[in-house]
Amino acid sequence: MTPLLRFASLGFSFVDRTVFTGLHAAVPSDACIALIGPNGCGKTTLLRLAAGTLKPTHGDVLLRGKSLAALSQRSIARSIALVPQNVEVSFGFTVQQFVEQGRTPYLKLFGGIGATDREAVEHAMELTDTCSLRSRVFNQLSGGERQRVKIALGLAQQPSLLLLDEPTQHLDIGRQLELIDLVKRLRHHGIAILASMHELTLIEDAFSEVWMLSPGEPMRQGSPQEMLRPDLLGRVFDCPPPSGPILLKPSPKHSERVRL
Amino acid sequence: MAGKVERIRSESGGSSAPPHLAGYRLLLAGLALALLLGILIAACVGVVPIPLRSLAQSLLGGQALNGDQHLILFTIRLPRILAAAMAGAALSVSGLLFQGLFRNPLADPYVIGSSGGALLGASFGVFILPQLSMAGFGATALLGVLGAICSISLVYMLASVNGRTPVVALLLAGFAVSTMLSYCSYFLEIMDRGYGTGMRVLSSWLHGTIAQPTWPQLAVLAAMVLVGIAASFPLTRRLNTLALGEEYAAHLGLHVQQTRIAVIVVGSLLTAAAVALGGLISFVGLIVPHMMRMILGPDHVRLLPATALAGGIFLLIADTVARTVIAPSELPVGVLTAFIGGPFFLYLLRQAKREVFA
Repeated sequence: MTPLLRFASLGFSFVDRTVFTGLHAAVPSDACIALIGPNGCGKTTLLRLAAGTLKPTHGDVLLRGKSLAALSQRSIARSIALVPQNVEVSFGFTVQQFVEQGRTPYLKLFGGIGATDREAVEHAMELTDTCSLRSRVFNQLSGGERQRVKIALGLAQQPSLLLLDEPTQHLDIGRQLELIDLVKRLRHHGIAILASMHELTLIEDAFSEVWMLSPGEPMRQGSPQEMLRPDLLGRVFDCPPPSGPILLKPSPKHSERVRL
Repeated sequence: MAGKVERIRSESGGSSAPPHLAGYRLLLAGLALALLLGILIAACVGVVPIPLRSLAQSLLGGQALNGDQHLILFTIRLPRILAAAMAGAALSVSGLLFQGLFRNPLADPYVIGSSGGALLGASFGVFILPQLSMAGFGATALLGVLGAICSISLVYMLASVNGRTPVVALLLAGFAVSTMLSYCSYFLEIMDRGYGTGMRVLSSWLHGTIAQPTWPQLAVLAAMVLVGIAASFPLTRRLNTLALGEEYAAHLGLHVQQTRIAVIVVGSLLTAAAVALGGLISFVGLIVPHMMRMILGPDHVRLLPATALAGGIFLLIADTVARTVIAPSELPVGVLTAFIGGPFFLYLLRQAKREVFA
């Protein structure tokens, strides 16, 4: 069976720097993958290549067996949603208006938002628990709220694959766990997830697979247990091997909340 | 499609929530009514007053006006009034478009040099190719559009940094370009050997005086304004998407480059029409979209019709005041809008201070 997304001997270089070469990997349609690696190793670049906003210098990215280069960005955006790290919105758009932008790949040349679009927006806001924020101004939201609203925009695209760039960045521990809850909920809804993560403690609970990027080395892939080993982390992140529990177990009470 | 956005609204509506659909429609109807009333009232006032009742009878087909009044109303006052309303609508809508494109509420067609470009283009038509502009505004207006497109593209290239246009860069680039263009127009004036109509036209354009167009001229410019506003409708929701930033908008499948070009062409068409109607009128494209944004929120789809109507009303009132306040002399309306708009611009700049001095 063709995987949802496949990187085929993918290579990318900026003018003066090669980020990676010969990268092979596949994202199955039920994937929940954490992308880890030190700063500057190309996590964001890989996500942008997967979303079609960057073009590879070598190799190819295939969506259900078809090269992204052969697809229009509109049709890519109906299958793959990229939630960027930082979004700067000009003017005081409300959360509702912001999430509605996720319907852009579905709108006709002269058309506006229709009934099906509104339904998708409502569904996305319910899933991310952002309905109560709908009339708030996006730029005035707190970090945690903003993150959930950004994911709601991505879900309004009704994607098969959601790409999250540092979704837990700048969040307090409570909001981080809230976000991990959301990732698990989305998994239950059959949306594949590829997320770059710096918070290694949060990975084992929610993600089934880890991709580890390291400059100048081929990408490592494996289960969280295989990848989050102190010696390996110490080598890749160039630090003394982390001691103590690197894996945070959520309390049973918290896990129950996830089921709701 | 314009306003069906708010179907369900949470009970805890924020303070900046845009009004409901019914309220929005009411606002549009109110603005349209106000514009109509404004036109009627403005037609009555002037050096030769015309009673409202005889005006109404005359417009309904009766003959309640004497010869002088009839002449004044139909050859002088009505064209002037319609010119003011159209110029106001055109300036406000082009301001709205440019603010969306630059993602910057300070982008007024005058401030960013688009009016200056249109002026230079139109001056070219008046001074270098006068035989073309004899047949009405045709060639002059077209050259104005070209001038506006060139200047706005130049400012955009100079001011944009990674798809954003910082306030300082935009204002400096706009200032430099429009100053150069204005002095180029003076240069054309000096080179002109006609010492006649061209100089008078240029001088009234530089002061921002609403012209006294003939009905055929008015028809050509009305077509330009209507086409410009109609072409703005499909651009509005794209400007909403563009507010997320260019890369994100491109990811969502927006054709960023095409949208940008379309906005520049349509905004330039409207600026050139406004310049042909009234020359350099400053800050209208800044004040009107800002006031509408305070009432309706930033959704460009909803803002477009409201901004067009409010712009018409605003400049109509300003021009009526300008031509009556020191009667029998006239004040160029550009002077009046600069008096009102200048402080307003500084106020907005102060609001944006954090970005300016960061």
